[in-house]
Amino acid sequence: MKASKLMERVKQYLDSDKQTQIDKIKSIRKVLKELKQKERSLTEKLEMEQDASTKASLQLKLDVIYAQRKKGVDRVQELKEQLKEQSN
Amino acid sequence: MLKKIFLPAVLIFLAYAFWQSSDFTEIAAGIALFMFGMLCLEDGFKAFTGGTLEALLRASTDRLWKSLAFGMGSTTLMQSSSLVSLITVSFVSSQMITLAAGIGIIMGANIGTTTGAWLIAGLGLKVDIAAYAMPVLVFGMVFLMQKSKTHKGIGYLMLGFAFLFLGIHFMKEGFESFQQTFDLSEYGMTGFAGLIVFTLIGMAVTVIMQSSHATLLIIITALSTGQVSYENALALAIGANLGSTVTIVLGSIASNLGGKRLAASHVLFNVVTAAFAIVFIGQLAWSVDQLAHFLGIRQDDFLLKLALFHTLFNVIGVLLLMPFVPKLEAWLMTYIQFKPKGMEQPLYLVPQALETSATAVNAVKMEVRHLFDNAYGLLAHGLSLRRATIDSDESLSDAVKYTRRIFPIDVEDLYEAKIKSLHNEIVMFIADAQQRESTGTAPEQLYHLRQASRDIVESVKGMKHLHKNLAQYGLSNHLAVRERYDQIRIHLAEVLRELRQLLNGDVDDVNHLSLDALRVSSQKARKKLIDELDEMIRHRRISASIATSIMNDEAYVTDIVNNLIDALSILLNEPDQEAVDSLHLDEQELSELTGE
Repeated sequence: MKASKLMERVKQYLDSDKQTQIDKIKSIRKVLKELKQKERSLTEKLEMEQDASTKASLQLKLDVIYAQRKKGVDRVQELKEQLKEQSN
Repeated sequence: MLKKIFLPAVLIFLAYAFWQSSDFTEIAAGIALFMFGMLCLEDGFKAFTGGTLEALLRASTDRLWKSLAFGMGSTTLMQSSSLVSLITVSFVSSQMITLAAGIGIIMGANIGTTTGAWLIAGLGLKVDIAAYAMPVLVFGMVFLMQKSKTHKGIGYLMLGFAFLFLGIHFMKEGFESFQQTFDLSEYGMTGFAGLIVFTLIGMAVTVIMQSSHATLLIIITALSTGQVSYENALALAIGANLGSTVTIVLGSIASNLGGKRLAASHVLFNVVTAAFAIVFIGQLAWSVDQLAHFLGIRQDDFLLKLALFHTLFNVIGVLLLMPFVPKLEAWLMTYIQFKPKGMEQPLYLVPQALETSATAVNAVKMEVRHLFDNAYGLLAHGLSLRRATIDSDESLSDAVKYTRRIFPIDVEDLYEAKIKSLHNEIVMFIADAQQRESTGTAPEQLYHLRQASRDIVESVKGMKHLHKNLAQYGLSNHLAVRERYDQIRIHLAEVLRELRQLLNGDVDDVNHLSLDALRVSSQKARKKLIDELDEMIRHRRISASIATSIMNDEAYVTDIVNNLIDALSILLNEPDQEAVDSLHLDEQELSELTGE
């Protein structure tokens, strides 16, 4: 992540109140849940699929979802830690 | 239904008429050459837009009297008001001069054309413009073959003139036999009925001859041999003036709105002038007698008196209408509007939608989706695949593999009719909406939607180039080339299918995130193709020139895909976008997944 982007995030965090942080976590979790569902459905499709190129395309979609979920989880973790620091 | 049978009916009629009459063939060829000449002239003048010719034209037509003088001078020199009128239509069509200046030139041309009557009556001379056509045609072609834009422009102008000359020549030749059948002495009439009948005859002859000069030649010859009376000859001259409007109307068929407005002004001017001449024919004849006496023309020299009458009533017509030119221009601008046939009309951009910012945003969003739908159809056909094929679950690889022909579509035309016209309407509607609502979130949303519309337009532009190369190499016998183009087509078709599904599916957060997978798959496809091409060049399996063509086409596809994804990312935008955005992969993360 670029330094400027990081600074922007920090600034956003400092400006926002505790409730906003909680709302953010909630909305990211909602998206993560949907991503998880999509991941399951794609995995099922992948197991059934015979065609090599379709399999490759499904695998790519799964890889992207995995990366997005990982990013989301990291973000939630980050927000939680910030929330903890705020309450201390 | 009527549209479908119209063209075949016209073609069958023409074929039958050509078979029946060689005269008709000559006349029809003349009209075809004439109209082609008009198109060449428009192309030629366009090459000089913004240049010195425009500056010269503007300088010589920035005042009404200057436009009049320009029209008079050029018509006197060229001895053809039709030609000057047609060239003026071209000027106005290519927006090199204003409509008001065009009207001025047309008025001047009407006075300039009367010098022809003086020449015929006084000297019996007439410049044969057709004799210049052949050398002009050759010179024009030589200029057209040059690389310079200016030279090409000159070439088009020369070809335009040559084809116009040839067209008029062929039309005259074709009507030569027709001319023989007109024995006017048999139809001598007096009084008001005679005036009307001979005006109509003069008009009909000019319409058929496509030249008021030719009609005047007949009138003067007939008058000199006593075939028609002086009174009837005056009516014929009025009719000749009216008939000449048909030439410019014919010329304006191939021109744009500006040209059509100018043609309308010409018709209006000639009709008003003719009506005035018919109503005040007695007074005009008396004035001619007085002026003839003043100028030293003999009382029985009806030929010169006819020429004088021709000049007088045209000058009076100009003087009558001159004060109304600005009003006439405004009137033409307001009332002569047209929606070109085949141009896509917006479905959701109704004035009522501007009432609230929410309805305006929603209408624009729906219209951009409509635009996307049009682009989708055009891109599918550009890939020589049916929409239904991409919409279905059918294997795209098979559909591409078994392609037997590249669809012969005109991407440029479709772009103008289905994409650009709609984009223009969207941009105009957004401007109106922003004028009403300058605060809140609506202006920002509209700004993004305009960008989405632009992205879609850009994606179609990419297809213009791609389709050209697909038509050339898409079904190549060279297996390696064919395979690469198949790869390009499959990839774009797959993206189109995915985007369509995303747009038509239930809008949820995951849909928006799916765009990342499309970006990665696009980058991967690109990387794979480039790697394969490198390999083939190294092993001399493909020539470098074809390889670079494929690389260029691949770049077009990348642009098309990126623009479409960008557009969709705006169209799929939802209120809970912030959380979704934080999960989108950035450039570096996308590249890592691509393996770059």
